[in-house]
Amino acid sequence: MKFLCVPCDSPMKLETVDPDRGSLSVVYSCPECGYEIAMLTNAYETQMVQSLGVKIGPAGAPAESAGKCPFGAMIPAAGTAAAPASADPAVVRWTMEAEARLANIPEFVRPMARTGIERFARERGVVEIDETILDAAREFFGM
Amino acid sequence: MKGYHDIAGDGGSRILDQIAEQRTRVADGLAGVRHLVAVGSGKGGVGKSTLTIALAERLRARGHRVAILDADFNGPSQARMAGVQHAVFVPGREKAALPRTPTGIGVFSMGSVIPESEALDFESAARGESHTWRATREFALLGEILGAFEWGSLDLLIIDLPPGADRTVQYADFFGVRASFVLVTIPSQVARGVVARSVAALSSRPNRLLGYVENMSGYYCRDCNAVKPLFAADASAGFGIPCLGNVPFDPDLARTCDFGLLATALRDSAASDAIDAIARRLLDELNEDQP
Repeated sequence: MKFLCVPCDSPMKLETVDPDRGSLSVVYSCPECGYEIAMLTNAYETQMVQSLGVKIGPAGAPAESAGKCPFGAMIPAAGTAAAPASADPAVVRWTMEAEARLANIPEFVRPMARTGIERFARERGVVEIDETILDAAREFFGM
Repeated sequence: MKGYHDIAGDGGSRILDQIAEQRTRVADGLAGVRHLVAVGSGKGGVGKSTLTIALAERLRARGHRVAILDADFNGPSQARMAGVQHAVFVPGREKAALPRTPTGIGVFSMGSVIPESEALDFESAARGESHTWRATREFALLGEILGAFEWGSLDLLIIDLPPGADRTVQYADFFGVRASFVLVTIPSQVARGVVARSVAALSSRPNRLLGYVENMSGYYCRDCNAVKPLFAADASAGFGIPCLGNVPFDPDLARTCDFGLLATALRDSAASDAIDAIARRLLDELNEDQP
């Protein structure tokens, strides 16, 4: 979808995107005359864009529409970047490098990955998960 | 006044570029896969998933590098059949490692992610209107999975499709011409009628139809060591595509699928012999040499 400032015959630029209860308020402005318009989506339109798995907004803006875990409503730990392991008596730490690798995998499998790898580490008497442990787990579990 | 095609870009979001990037990630993720083989039917309950895992086991036993993508997100069964319901997803250097069976078959199934007591659900701004957007969301998820896991270097990626002739064609469109199809039927007129629709639908696409498999083609009685009729005699003609083989119903095979023990069940039965012959025929159709 593109927007054209008819008086200037100039393509309008996306300025801001604000989500609001299932709607997106998308503001465009004309770079020639500065005139602004807002496109306000209904829930169907918002959802269709979300379903494509794309992000609406200026380049570099935080993603509102596409970054959510598809199972957020059904997996309690989903979406929490660093689920605490403190409930277990043997607390396992993650190095920054290991956390970075965890962040590379799809959000909807991260909680399961964290839990499984911490169990793998504890079973081997390891209290810090680093890239070496991840490589060992990958060799053990993965293809 | 300028028209749509006179304007470059969309003013900020780069939607078309993002779609293109998604497709590039999928293509890159599957770059090491020699053959994409989709196992479909159109009809549900004909044994697509059983045939998928059984073929994968036979191909793996022959030394081929094989993985399974369970594309039936709403009724995933490969996790249970392959014994990876409790798989641990491990982050690799860039992507997630694919869970594998004890015999070395990589498997992604939503059944490893969602317990059987729950259904796949998505957050939505239009809850209660899923008929308007759900298929689009599921294909976006499929793209995310293909781009986010390490499929690596494979001889075959076997895709277990959901039922529905329309869905079968959607997967042909999604994967493009490099995906070949195997259709599964059973010897009933109802099933054959639905499979015929899938054949007709796929015929309008450039994808190759490798052939069909008639599953539940009789009943294998271990006591008698003989195959007996399961359905009324069927003198129907084929579908105009090769018949890759006929697999008799084997209660032991069905039971072991429930417990993820297929590799041990695939021995010394009429069903295992039939599946082995189908695997060989499939390799012939793909011009795939023995490794």
